[in-house]
Amino acid sequence: MTPPDFPTPSADSDLALVERANAGDTRAFELLVIKYQRRIERLVGRMVRDQDQVQDVTQETFIRAYRALHQFRGEAKFYTWLYRIAVNTAKKALQDIKRSPVLTESALHTGDDEDETSRFGQELTTEETPETVLAAQEIAQAVNAAMEALPEDLRQAVTLREIEGLSYEEIATAMNCPIGTVRSRIFRAREAISARVKPLLERQSGKRW
Amino acid sequence: MNDDLIQREQLSALVDGETSASQMQAVLAYAESDEGQQSWRMYHLIGDVLRSPELAHHSQHDVLPGVRALMAREPRPGQAVSGLADGLPLGQLEQVVPPSGDHASERLVGNGAPVVAFPVRSAANASVFRWKMAAGVASVAAVAAIGWSVMLGSPGQQPPVQLAGLGAPQASALTAAAPAAPGNAGASELPLGEQAQSSSVVAVAGPYGQSVMLRDPRLDELLASHPQYSSAPNLQMPASFLRNANFASMRPAQRP
Repeated sequence: MTPPDFPTPSADSDLALVERANAGDTRAFELLVIKYQRRIERLVGRMVRDQDQVQDVTQETFIRAYRALHQFRGEAKFYTWLYRIAVNTAKKALQDIKRSPVLTESALHTGDDEDETSRFGQELTTEETPETVLAAQEIAQAVNAAMEALPEDLRQAVTLREIEGLSYEEIATAMNCPIGTVRSRIFRAREAISARVKPLLERQSGKRW
Repeated sequence: MNDDLIQREQLSALVDGETSASQMQAVLAYAESDEGQQSWRMYHLIGDVLRSPELAHHSQHDVLPGVRALMAREPRPGQAVSGLADGLPLGQLEQVVPPSGDHASERLVGNGAPVVAFPVRSAANASVFRWKMAAGVASVAAVAAIGWSVMLGSPGQQPPVQLAGLGAPQASALTAAAPAAPGNAGASELPLGEQAQSSSVVAVAGPYGQSVMLRDPRLDELLASHPQYSSAPNLQMPASFLRNANFASMRPAQRP
């Protein structure tokens, strides 16, 4: 399996965070977790179908990466290195499931207590509740709505950066403006989108951002 | 623009890999703060959702608290054994199975102060390597056994017996044990001691009970010296199925 072709990540900042983590700064590694957990979780979810297992395997992936962090030399992209760890961790989890199937809460979820049909041995499937599906849709809609509401120059700058993967210099050339202006526009676009998404996340999670 | 906005803008540039080297450490320090971490989380969520809306679903679960708890129990990446370096007397060495269960770490207890040692971890493919080694040794042993048996020869086979080179006593011992061929009935009526010295063609029983014709080498020498009397090519055994082609004997009309 090869990693998908995302826009060029901030490789220098990833390496800088790895170096800080190797020096004992655990908060630096936490930033890497925040940055890549969604992609890793999606990757693991394609291999391990039980939602409870997905979170465990995702956690295990990051812990394995943390243990082996001193071996990362920066020759490859950090996400490529992390991607391989995730695939191997998911494969191991699947092997463990085959040897000794474990019933998780999501697999035992059933609406009929008197149903004597045992679900043990059946294939575990991802349990996406309507609430989580709705919440995800709300977030995506909020981001898209915020993008639509942006001024043209801000929307164009953040689109060229996030979706097209252009560098600040390339965006400056495309938009015929200084690099500093590109940097400012992208920042303001993110702030505007954050202002619309943050209340939604707070409502969904029940805690203040 | 206040400092907080400036720092968040620098953090935004860090997300895009557009931070200068001189600002890197300061921006990273801000990113690790609580406020900076929130902005970092939000900026990356926006980018992920813009590139792939399905990633919004994966924003529902935060693995960071679990990872943080597990990291607290882990040694620093690449941390060496500090007890030995400080010259602390080695206390009781005990094997501790870590929470993850996939490797063992040695905890040296000296002077009552536990020292976290470097995790001793076997290679991921150590068990596979051991099986490969065992399979290799078994293969070499099998080849050696087969080769040895070939060198010694099969115990069921008997080396071919050539009586022609034997003296009379040995030949008589063998021929006495074998039934005589029908064509040699005359020879079999002779006393045993004289049979080996009379006729040069003696029949003995082979390993499978068949009659094996043995030839006296003196007969071969005689035939070799007089090829005109040989009705067969100079073979060890008469090749009666072969005809002699002799141009000299053919009539002129039969020549091609």
